[in-house]
Amino acid sequence: MNSPIRKVLVYIDGTEQSITAAQYALCLAKCADAEVHAIYVVNTRALDDLLKARIFLKEEQIEYARDLEADAERYLNHVRELARKKGIAIETCKTTGSVYQEIVRAVKDGGFDLLVIGELSRIRSRREEFYDETERAMRSVTCSVIIVKDEERVWRMYESL
Amino acid sequence: MALVDLVSVDVVKIPLQANSKPAVIRELVQVLMDAGKITDVDRALKAIHEREALGSTGLELGIAVPHAKTDTVKTLTLAMGVSPQGVDFNSLDGKPSRLFFLMLAPPNLSGPHIQALADIAKLSRSRALCDALAAAKSADEVVRHFHAE
Repeated sequence: MNSPIRKVLVYIDGTEQSITAAQYALCLAKCADAEVHAIYVVNTRALDDLLKARIFLKEEQIEYARDLEADAERYLNHVRELARKKGIAIETCKTTGSVYQEIVRAVKDGGFDLLVIGELSRIRSRREEFYDETERAMRSVTCSVIIVKDEERVWRMYESL
Repeated sequence: MALVDLVSVDVVKIPLQANSKPAVIRELVQVLMDAGKITDVDRALKAIHEREALGSTGLELGIAVPHAKTDTVKTLTLAMGVSPQGVDFNSLDGKPSRLFFLMLAPPNLSGPHIQALADIAKLSRSRALCDALAAAKSADEVVRHFHAE
């Protein structure tokens, strides 16, 4: 039987949970002999919302956009380094826009059969104001999704590769 | 990290005692100090005031969102306060602010910082939620409004 996992996408957002997800995705890719890709979305949608809400000034929007671009480079570099240390090839990608839309689009356009994301908030507020973009992407993507938990165990798995 | 993860009883103060903008900011930073979230009050205050000098973070609907990037925190950090009588925060609509979200973030956590502030922006569009939070009588009540599980 062919492996059910051929092409994996891991979503990176700079949180520790997303780095753990990257480690898990690398473990999975190695075991399943699958391609692994990482994506970071520069959340320009949130920046626009903050400017409209007047929480941000224009100069802040520009400054934080630069910060997000720098964070994207930093965290994708880190993921590339994690892959390099274990001899695993990885493609990384930075996009801009809305987190939810970019993840859904990347999965569809890239033909991924698995999305790997970091642990979501344990608090599941019913308030619409606090819906989580990553969770929304999880519910909307056309492929299967793994939510990675247990950071310590994942670290041990990664270290043992 | 979502806004709901940052709101806990130890970082919510009701009612705020302060009756001026600088005093509100100081009181909220002290909340973070008392909760063990920061160790350097003066540097945190400096970062907040530098941002306020560029333009007030007092919005409409009685909400104020003082915020800053600072290396006095290692992770995204929020203090919330409610002032039932309202405080002049040089807000956009000229009205007193009653609901305060003071956010500090380390410089290398832009993504989660922006997401948490965007959650506050969404909250600020809900008059019902803002009124409920501003009318809350305890930190527990505020947390319950956020979690609404």
